[in-house]
Amino acid sequence: MPANPQGQVAVPDHKRWGADRGPVLKLGKYLAIAKINLHQAIVYRSNVLGGLLFYALFIFVFFSLWRAIYHGGEVQGYSLRQVVWYLCITELLVFGCRTPVFTQMNEDIKTGALAYQLIRPCHYVAYQFAGAVGRMVFNLVCFGILAVVLGMVMVGPLPDYALTKLPLGILSACLGLVINFFLLMCLGLTAFRLEENGAFYLVYQKLVFMLGMFIPLEFLPGWLQRIARWLPFPYVAWAPARLLVAFSWPLFWQILPLQVFWAAIAIGLSLLLYRQGMRGLQANGG
Amino acid sequence: MSNGHKLHSIFTLIGLYFRVNLASAMEYRSAFMLQVFGMVLSNGSFVFFWWVAFSQIGARIGGYDFTDVMFIWAVTSSAFGTANILFANMNHISRLIISGELDTFLLQPKSVLTSVLCARTSLSAWGDLLYGFLLIALTQGADGRAWLMFFCGLVIGALLMTAVAVTAHTLTFYVGDASTLAGMSVEFIVNFCIYPKGIYAGWVQVLMATLIPATFMVHLPLQLARQFDLLLFAGLLAASAAYCSLAGFFFYRGLRRYESGNLIVTRL
Amino acid sequence: MNMIEAYDLSKTYRTRVRGEGLAASARAMFRPVYREVLAVQSIDLVVPPGEIVAFIGPNGAGKSTTIKMMTGILRPNSGSIRVLGLDPVRERSNLSYHIGTVFGQKSQLWFHLPPTDSFTLLGRIYDVAPGVLKKRIAMLTERFELGALLDVPVRKMSLGQRIRCEVAASLLHEPEILFLDEPTIGLDVVVKQAIRELIRDLNQEKGTTIFLTSHDAGDVEHVCRRAIVIDHGRIVLDQPVKKLKYDYLNRKIIAVRFTEKHDLKTLPGIEVQKTGGLGSRLLVDTRIRPIGEVMSWLVGSGAVADITVEDPPMEEIIATIFSSQDEGGA
Repeated sequence: MPANPQGQVAVPDHKRWGADRGPVLKLGKYLAIAKINLHQAIVYRSNVLGGLLFYALFIFVFFSLWRAIYHGGEVQGYSLRQVVWYLCITELLVFGCRTPVFTQMNEDIKTGALAYQLIRPCHYVAYQFAGAVGRMVFNLVCFGILAVVLGMVMVGPLPDYALTKLPLGILSACLGLVINFFLLMCLGLTAFRLEENGAFYLVYQKLVFMLGMFIPLEFLPGWLQRIARWLPFPYVAWAPARLLVAFSWPLFWQILPLQVFWAAIAIGLSLLLYRQGMRGLQANGG
Repeated sequence: MSNGHKLHSIFTLIGLYFRVNLASAMEYRSAFMLQVFGMVLSNGSFVFFWWVAFSQIGARIGGYDFTDVMFIWAVTSSAFGTANILFANMNHISRLIISGELDTFLLQPKSVLTSVLCARTSLSAWGDLLYGFLLIALTQGADGRAWLMFFCGLVIGALLMTAVAVTAHTLTFYVGDASTLAGMSVEFIVNFCIYPKGIYAGWVQVLMATLIPATFMVHLPLQLARQFDLLLFAGLLAASAAYCSLAGFFFYRGLRRYESGNLIVTRL
Repeated sequence: MNMIEAYDLSKTYRTRVRGEGLAASARAMFRPVYREVLAVQSIDLVVPPGEIVAFIGPNGAGKSTTIKMMTGILRPNSGSIRVLGLDPVRERSNLSYHIGTVFGQKSQLWFHLPPTDSFTLLGRIYDVAPGVLKKRIAMLTERFELGALLDVPVRKMSLGQRIRCEVAASLLHEPEILFLDEPTIGLDVVVKQAIRELIRDLNQEKGTTIFLTSHDAGDVEHVCRRAIVIDHGRIVLDQPVKKLKYDYLNRKIIAVRFTEKHDLKTLPGIEVQKTGGLGSRLLVDTRIRPIGEVMSWLVGSGAVADITVEDPPMEEIIATIFSSQDEGGA
């Protein structure tokens, strides 16, 4: 046996720290991942400029459009102010906080880069989510400030706005982001089985656009609204934006459980797809 | 060489590039299908939006009714498609300037700008082109003047879109990488093409007739389709020709400063 | 206990066969057609603690498949494998705390950030307590001379600097085994030598077991004590490097150019492979004729303008191994 200067054989000690850490330190691990992503986003902050400009253009065009459409009064319970703020929020959530998770998954799976994540003691799905959270924090701040500025400049503050309800709206926004992220992850994970899964992404994106991002769900014809409420897509953008511009307790209790439900479904499904995919990967290589 | 010959040779060149590009693009059929699918979906979702807006809210928005909006949509889509089928390289001029890849084109005996613009094609653009035809057929029916103005808008729109992109990219000769600016300028044009002109405040409408020539690309053709006016039509053609000549002038002016990649390689 | 034990290890891949045309790709979506590829065939391998093993072979020989099975990325089709006594696939996350990996092609550092950030993150991922991590980073910084690099974004580093950081990053959790996949690929001679020394010292000081794959005969010669040659999924040679060196790494290629036209007489142990104009390419058997001797002979025989000494490429060495085994078997 080759000499070992310490005169001892390195034997793995399973009880050594690392092998069975408690969940608290585990959380710290993912916080660190979020932090480094945030750091990278800040270092590359100039990347966000084009997006901000586009965001402003989009809001301006739609503000002009809605102003032309509204001749005072309300449409389906939304005033002009509310509908502009609504748009600022949905665009913030869908465009401002867009995540590349779908393309990332696709690439990682198709290039086999996923395998290199396996040799680390952390869960790939959680790793991706933590990374996305880090990047989103940065985007939320940048686009959030712009959203508020644009809203204030174009239509001014909402009258009699109940600031105390704001945290509840923000909670709903976070849930919307979680639903969006994990649904996209599910779609990305289909790359384990399908060569061409880009169509899923496009369809998903358009469903989110149409069922809540461009126009409040209430503007849609009745039959479509009834269908849409059973689907996860309005809970990404419509639900939080609606609660943020026109909060009501009955609506909140109607929306929140559904958001939690869809978030749970999306998370559960991504974990399941990941596990199945991994089994295939270990059997067949990258 | 006479001017007629020169023009003819430019068209031959465009045709040649077009065929070669198409053949190489057919190697990626499934990606092509996906892009077309995505385009149909994305344009369809906008039609959906307008349908909801008009059916729920009002018969006219910014002075346009549903068929008017569909007309400007169709023209924009087809013009964008045409520009990107024939001149897809317009989106890459800055990169070509910075990396010194213009060399290849300068060595060729043909029009530099034409060769540069045509050296690439976009497959999904076919979807955009066809989509415009589909929309016109569905919403304007057999309205001959609408069809005629659709074709005019298609040609003018494609040329002006390219002209603006070329002008923006030409700035790279002077100030360094202008690709973001150029990309944004195309986005802006498209955006100001697809909504009724009447929704915008006066100063925006001024912009739309100057820096972002959306008015000439779609809004005037629409006006002419609804009520033809020979003088206005002549003016439209003259303005479009002026835009294109200016873009060409800027480009060749800038080209004098081209230093084959030695100029702008300062690290960003 | 052995660090790595593998018996009768085999791995077959199924790769999807892609048809031509649209109809075929549509069909393949629902009923894919597969083809079987034997990547690794019945490998036996035992690595005791503290060993430095070179795992060499041409591209597609099964090197990275084997590493992937050892690290739990791939599940073997048959045979058994134990790394540190653990089943790599079943106990993957447990095992991951005890192994380090450097893949020359795939960076574990954040490209746009200074390595400190990546070190901190990896420390957290591997659950190294902050105080301990700080000490280790300090130690590795000194040992790998990273002081000036700690605050430089990785994208601004040279390849050699980056690889030094990569190796340091893989040691933050003090793994018992370090897997290195082509660690010196693309590096210049001086940097290669520095990396080799680091790896050797690491083994001497910490007793870390090293398992490295390489294309480069120099890596094998200068770092490893034992070499395993794999080709077409089978182990064709497993012996101490000393013996490998004596048997197969005994040749050098010398390219020489003279200032004026010149006739080279051959000597025993020197084979002129190519000659033309002022230059010649010589294959030297160093057992018969040490390099120094050849050099002075060359200098003595005319005015030398340029001279380079190289190892023969790995492919050639493996070809030699095969031909000699065929002779032995016949």
